[in-house]
Amino acid sequence: MLVPLGLMLRQGLLVDGLPSLAPLQDALGNRSVARALWNSLDSAAVSATLSLALGAGLALVVGLTNLRGKAVFTFLILIPMMIPPHVTAIAWTQALGPSSPLLGAVGLAPPPGSPHPLYGRGGVIALLAVQQMPLVFLVVLAALRALPREMAEAARVSGAGTARLLAKIILPLLVPSLIAAYALAFVSALGNFGIPALLGIPGRYTTLPVLIWQRLSSFGPSMLADVAVMSALMALIAIALVLVQTWLSARSRAALIGPPQPPMRLDLGPARVLAEAGMGLMVLVFLGLPVAALVGTALVPTYGVTLTAETLTLANFEQVLFRQSVTARAFLNSTIAAGFAALVLAGFGAVLARAMTGPPSLGRGIGRVVSTLAETTYAIPGIVISIAFILTFLRPLPLIGVSVYNTLTLIVLAYLCAFLAVALKPVSAACLQLDPALDEAARVAGAGWGLRMRRIFLPLVAPAAAAGGMLVFLTAYNEITVSALLWSSGTETIGTVIYNYENGGYTVLAAAMSTVTVVATVMLMALLDLLGRRLPPGVVPWRL
Amino acid sequence: MKTPMIATLVAALLAGPALAQTADVSGRLVLYTSQPNADAQRTVDAFTALHPDVEVDWIRDGTTQVMARLEAEFAAGSPQPDVLLIADTVVMEGLEAQGRLLAYPEADVSAYDPALMDPERHYFSTKLITTGIIYNTSAPFVPESWADLLRPEAQGQIAMPSPLASGAATIHMVALTSHPDLGWDYYEGLAAQGTNPQGGNGGVYNAVAGGEQMFGMVVDFLPIREIPNGAPVGFVFPEEGVSAVTEPVAILSTAQNVPAAQAFVDFLISPEGQQLAADMGYLPAHPAIAPPEGFPAMDQIQLMEFDPAVALENADDYRLRFVEIFGG
Repeated sequence: MLVPLGLMLRQGLLVDGLPSLAPLQDALGNRSVARALWNSLDSAAVSATLSLALGAGLALVVGLTNLRGKAVFTFLILIPMMIPPHVTAIAWTQALGPSSPLLGAVGLAPPPGSPHPLYGRGGVIALLAVQQMPLVFLVVLAALRALPREMAEAARVSGAGTARLLAKIILPLLVPSLIAAYALAFVSALGNFGIPALLGIPGRYTTLPVLIWQRLSSFGPSMLADVAVMSALMALIAIALVLVQTWLSARSRAALIGPPQPPMRLDLGPARVLAEAGMGLMVLVFLGLPVAALVGTALVPTYGVTLTAETLTLANFEQVLFRQSVTARAFLNSTIAAGFAALVLAGFGAVLARAMTGPPSLGRGIGRVVSTLAETTYAIPGIVISIAFILTFLRPLPLIGVSVYNTLTLIVLAYLCAFLAVALKPVSAACLQLDPALDEAARVAGAGWGLRMRRIFLPLVAPAAAAGGMLVFLTAYNEITVSALLWSSGTETIGTVIYNYENGGYTVLAAAMSTVTVVATVMLMALLDLLGRRLPPGVVPWRL
Repeated sequence: MKTPMIATLVAALLAGPALAQTADVSGRLVLYTSQPNADAQRTVDAFTALHPDVEVDWIRDGTTQVMARLEAEFAAGSPQPDVLLIADTVVMEGLEAQGRLLAYPEADVSAYDPALMDPERHYFSTKLITTGIIYNTSAPFVPESWADLLRPEAQGQIAMPSPLASGAATIHMVALTSHPDLGWDYYEGLAAQGTNPQGGNGGVYNAVAGGEQMFGMVVDFLPIREIPNGAPVGFVFPEEGVSAVTEPVAILSTAQNVPAAQAFVDFLISPEGQQLAADMGYLPAHPAIAPPEGFPAMDQIQLMEFDPAVALENADDYRLRFVEIFGG
C-alpha cells in the first residue's frame, strides 16, 4: 500500500530530487484547482450531511421499530449503491430529462432543449447523497444491532417515551458510528468521479477528481506530476478528516457491555402504516425511478427512441448476454476480485480495528497509521491508484521475479488498497463501543490472545465486520475507476465493460449491461441470504 | 541439370520476398487501441486470419486512459505495447516529439493523400472520423453550414464536446478557428449562443438523441450508425467542410516485435484493411475504397486543412483561448 502511494507522491512532490511543498502551493494558487477544491469540499460536506440524515433515519426506523417488511426494505435500500455511479448519473439524467418516458407520461417532462435540471451543483449533491445513503444506512444499522438492549429497556421501564429514549440513550450511544458513517460518506463523495463528471461538467461545477481526469487527458510528461500534486491534496484532506474523526470519536466513546441482541421493536402504533408508505415511496424514488429509466433505455434499439410496443426489443440483452463473451468473463472477474477483497478486508479490518482501539501499544500505533493510510487511499480517486499501481507493479516483483501486471491479482491488490477504509469503518466504530472489561476478564481468567480474539472479540464485532465486508464487495463489484487502467483483455471487470460500451457510444448496451448487473447483484444477495441462515445473527444486514 | 537449378532459383526468388515477409511475422504483438471493443476485436481477428502465427494481445480504452496508462508505463521504464492505434494525430505528434515512435519508411502510402500521413512515416492514418453537425429531428431547422448554428433559433440548443476532454474536439477547434470564414469569432459566437462544451462525443450524441439539445457537433459514425436503428437524429456534412481525426497507427520505438508491428501497419493501410474500416461503418482513408452506407461519396466531403505539428505546438494557446471564451 505504501509503495505505490510513495511512488506516486514522488512524481509530484520532488523538486530537483528534494521533497518540497512548492508544487502544492502552486496548485493551490491556481484558480481552477482552488475552485475545484472548494467544490469538492462543498459537495462532499453537503451530500454527506444529507446521506447521514436520510441513511441514519432509515436505519433507525428499520432497526428499532415494528415496521413490517424490514428485510425487503433493507434489501431494496442497498441496491442503489450497487449501480455504478456513472450509471446512476446516466439513469437519473434520463429519468428527469426532456425525453423522460416517465415524466413525459404525466406531462411533466421539461420541454426539448431546456437545460437539464440535474446539471450543476444541486444535481451533483443530490445524486451523491443518494449514492452514499446506503453506506450510512448499513453502518448505522450494524451499530444498532450491536447495541445491547439493557440500557434501552431500563430507560423504558423508568418511563421514558420513544423520543426521550432516542435522544438520551440511542443517539448518544450511536455517536461514534454516526461520525464514522459521516466520514465514510464524505470521503466516498470526495473521491466520486462518475457523478460529478456527468452532471458537474455540463453545469460548470468541477470537482478535484474531475479536474484530475481532465489533466490526465492533457497528456504529456508533466501530466503525472500534475495529477500527483492534486492527489496529494486529496490525501491531505482525507488525513485531516481522519484526525478530526479520531478526536471526535474519542470524546464521544460510550462503552457497552454484552453481546449483540435481537433488535428492539418500538411500537409505532398508527404511524406504522405511514412509515411503511413513506419507506415505500422512498424506495420507489431512489430505486424505481433510475432503474426504470435504465431498463427503458436497455429495451429500445438506439438511444433517443421512445419506448413503445413496436420499438421494444431484447436485442441489447441478447447482444450483451450471448454475443459478447466479455460479459460472462467480466462477471466472473468482478465476483472473484470483489469477493476475495471483501473476505480479506473483513478479517483484516477486524484485527486492525482491535489493534487500533486497544490499550496504547506499538500495535495501536501501527493500527492508527495503517488506518490513516487506508483513509487516504480511499479518498484518492481510483484512477490515481491505478497509475500508482502501474508504476509499482509494471516490472516483475523483486525477489520472486513474477510479474502481476495485467493479471487479476493486481486488480485484487488495488481493491485491497483502495477499499480498506470501507471495511474498517463499521468495525472500528463497533470496537469503540466495546467495553474493555470483557477482554480484561478473559485475560484475568488466563485466556490467550487467540482465544480472546475467537471467543470474545470476533463474536461481538462479527456483524460490523460482515457489514464492512459487504460494503467492500458492493463497492468493488461495480467500481470502475480503480480497474480503469489495470484491466487487460481477459481481466475485464463489470465497471470497465459498462464504461467501454458507454464510451464507444453504445448507450443502450451499457444500459442493458447495467440492468443485468443489478439483477446479478440481487441474485448474489439472495445467495448470501441463503448462506446467512448459517451465520451469526446480524452478519447479513437484512436478516433481522 | 541446369534447368531444375534455374527453376529452383527462380522459384526461390519469386517466393523469397513473400516467404521472408511471412516467416518473420510471428510471436506476440501487443496493441493498445481506442477503437470500440467490437471494432478492435474485428480488426485483430482480420489481422490474425492473415498472419496466423501472430498472437495479438490488445487493450481497448478511451484515448485518455490509453495514454495515461502508457505515460505511467514510460515513467516506470517499461512500455508494453508494440503498436498504438489511437484517435488522433496530435497525440502521435507528441509521442514522436518525445522520440517514442519508430519510423517505418518502407510502408506503402502511395495511394493516400499526403496530408494524411506523417512525412517521416512515424504514424499512418487508418480512417477518417469527421466532425459535422448532428440535429434532432424535432429541431426548428436543418442546418447546412457551421454558420447556421449561430442563427437565433439555435440559441441555447447546441451541444459540443470539450477540447479539454476530447482529442477530436481539439482538432475540430484548431481546424474551425483556422478557417478563414469562421475563426475564433465563430467560437465567440457559439459562446454567445449559450453553448456549453462538455465531455466527449458520446455525451453530445446522447444529449441530441435524448432531446436535451437540438444541435450538436459530433463525430460522424455515431449518428450514421444509429440512424438506421431509428434514432431521432440527422447528420450534416456542413458546407465549409469538416475536420477529421484519422485514427493513426504507429509503432513504438520500444517495440519488442517490430516485424509483426510492421505487418499490422501494412494490413491497416492495405485495401483489405481499408475495406474492413468501411465495413465497420467508418469513412476509409484510402480514396479507392467506397464509403459505407449513410456517407456521401468521398469527393463530396470537404476536409478542412489541419497540420498536427502546428496544432501540437500551439495546443496550450488554443486551450487557453478556449477556456477564456467558454470559461472552462
